[in-house]
Amino acid sequence: MDSSIIVTTFDTATDSALGWISDHGGALFDLISAVLEGFYGALLWGLSQPPDYVLALLVALLGWRLIGVRFALLAAAALLFCAVMGLWPETMSTLALVISATILALLVALPTGVVAGYLPRLDAAIGPALDLVQTLPPYIYLLPAIALLGYGPATALAATVIVAMPPAIRLTALGIRMTPPEYIELGHACGITPLQMFFKVRLPFAVPSIMAGINQSLMMAFGMVVIAGIVGSGGLGATIYDSIRTLDIAKSIDAAIAIVVLTMVLDRLTQSASRARREDNP
Amino acid sequence: MAQNETAEVLIDCQSLWKIFGDRSGAAMAAVAERGLTKTQVLQEFDCVVGVAAANLQVRRGEIFCIMGLSGSGKSTLIRMLNRLIAPSAGRVLVKDRDLAALSATELRQMRARHIGMVFQSVALLPHRTVLENAAFGLEVQGLPKPERLRTAEAALRKVGLGDWMQRYPSELSGGMQQRVGLARAIAADPEIILMDEPFSALDPLIRRQLQDEFRQLTKDLGKSAVFITHDLEEAIRIGDRIAIMKDGAIIQVGTAEEIVLDPADGYVADFVAGISRLHLVKAHSVMVPVADFLKSFPGRDIAGLLTTGPEADIDALIGLTMHSDDGAIAVVADGSVVGVVTTRNLLLGVKGTPAVAPDTGIARRA
Ligand SMILES: Nc1ncnc2c1ncn2[C@@H]1O[C@H](COP(=O)(O)OP(=O)(O)OP(=O)(O)O)[C@@H](O)[C@H]1O
Ligand SMILES: [Mg+2]
Repeated sequence: MDSSIIVTTFDTATDSALGWISDHGGALFDLISAVLEGFYGALLWGLSQPPDYVLALLVALLGWRLIGVRFALLAAAALLFCAVMGLWPETMSTLALVISATILALLVALPTGVVAGYLPRLDAAIGPALDLVQTLPPYIYLLPAIALLGYGPATALAATVIVAMPPAIRLTALGIRMTPPEYIELGHACGITPLQMFFKVRLPFAVPSIMAGINQSLMMAFGMVVIAGIVGSGGLGATIYDSIRTLDIAKSIDAAIAIVVLTMVLDRLTQSASRARREDNP
Repeated sequence: MAQNETAEVLIDCQSLWKIFGDRSGAAMAAVAERGLTKTQVLQEFDCVVGVAAANLQVRRGEIFCIMGLSGSGKSTLIRMLNRLIAPSAGRVLVKDRDLAALSATELRQMRARHIGMVFQSVALLPHRTVLENAAFGLEVQGLPKPERLRTAEAALRKVGLGDWMQRYPSELSGGMQQRVGLARAIAADPEIILMDEPFSALDPLIRRQLQDEFRQLTKDLGKSAVFITHDLEEAIRIGDRIAIMKDGAIIQVGTAEEIVLDPADGYVADFVAGISRLHLVKAHSVMVPVADFLKSFPGRDIAGLLTTGPEADIDALIGLTMHSDDGAIAVVADGSVVGVVTTRNLLLGVKGTPAVAPDTGIARRA
């Protein structure tokens, strides 16, 4: 049939295009893959060094400082429960994936957001692109990534980085743009330089918004990392995927609980970090 | 005032215009060619005339008040004095330098060293302590930390906030925040301080107190100031000279006494109508020359009258008149009698009409 010919032609064209890209850009993609995996590997190594109870204790301490005793105890207990379920290594590798993807995303998103905050035109131009990234179903990003980077954590990371960027870009730009005009005027009246204006006036006012962006990026990364279990990311996502395939429902629920624990702990911690900053800026 | 007229001119505005809007250039050209009014500019070009043909000179050591109703262009005018707003036409000379001709760096230095500014919104940085806020101007200038904190501390003590330095702005009352704003301006030790309605959000009592403190401080430090207000009482209390603005134009400049006694038009007259003359009008404005006095009251003994100086205000003159039997006070300057204030003159002075001799109608102050 006509339509199947069209589809076949399209598929062949896509295949050969991707083949061409990975043939000619092979070295580049190998490099990207190596960087991503190296970064992830280093972080995972670091997180795997301390025994589970030490890490739980550290989280509890941080939670106690930032939020309160109740949260600290709950968080530590919940993390230790992950260890009891026998999912500690998977939990740590998911954590490493999320953190490394978020850091890489922020490395691009924060500077981009700052520039977009200064240039309304750029902001208007990248707005639709960010909308698109945020509306497409996240697993779409796994497809080109797996074609170019292959099966494994690098693919999961690449897709996660893309999904995690938009909120940080948006909220950073917003924060930089929203400096109250009277402070801009104050700066000029004092004879401020553009660089001082950024660091001494715009940035302090933008911190709460930027922190909210970081929090949202982190949460986006979480969602993606779990989905990326399907492309061999390892970690809890992979555990769920594998146990569903083998109909080991109990295990998949264990993994889901671990994911919930990790999400809640990270969310509360980063949220309260941004709120603590806000309380400094009443 | 006499010594002021010879003092160096620090700020000189020459026919300054500001027109806001997308077609402000065309509007400005049309105004220059055809002399459009504010309304015509709005209709024809959809542009707002903020300031129209303003001329003013601020001299060293002087507190110059700009008074006008909301929307009369006061904020726009004062922002052109440090070029926060660039004029559409005209020139601003600060210490004989044309602001428009300065490079970005020179303009920054001019603002940092010579022109301080205090805002109605105060604009204290909420994440900094009071001390760090007061040091902000010096920090921007790149002064080392110990030095700028020391200077800021001294400035805060001058405004009476020595005990509040480690607090955050949100812990301070509105009046105290305004003091911090003032301390921040004087810490940088500028010659000129621009104040845009700094006290209008405060309650009357605090406001009065700050007005007096501000005037005292400015005089003690030998600074010059341009002070914006929409309150004539405040302008009179603070200003050495007052400019009255209406629809972007300056319609009268003079001392409080000159404006009250000789309003340039009905608009100014309405403004000054409710102002108490008691401390404003001085003996030299209400007295009549000795010859006129003698014409009206032949044979009166000038030497027997109670005496006072030309700067005595109405309040003091009333006090003297109460103690005088003949209802007339001799005004003495440099050892000789320069004029006489009769009860009639005094009443006219209270009413705000300048001295009119009984039958000649002279002695209107120029
Ligand atoms: N950025 C701007 N764009 C357009 N019009 C402006 C702008 N700034 C001021 N104007 C207009 O210029 C005129 C003068 O405004 P300005 O703020 O100088 O008045 P003001 O005397 O300070 O009033 P207020 O006492 O309310 O502060 C007003 O009609 C105002 O609408
Ligand atoms: Mg104003």
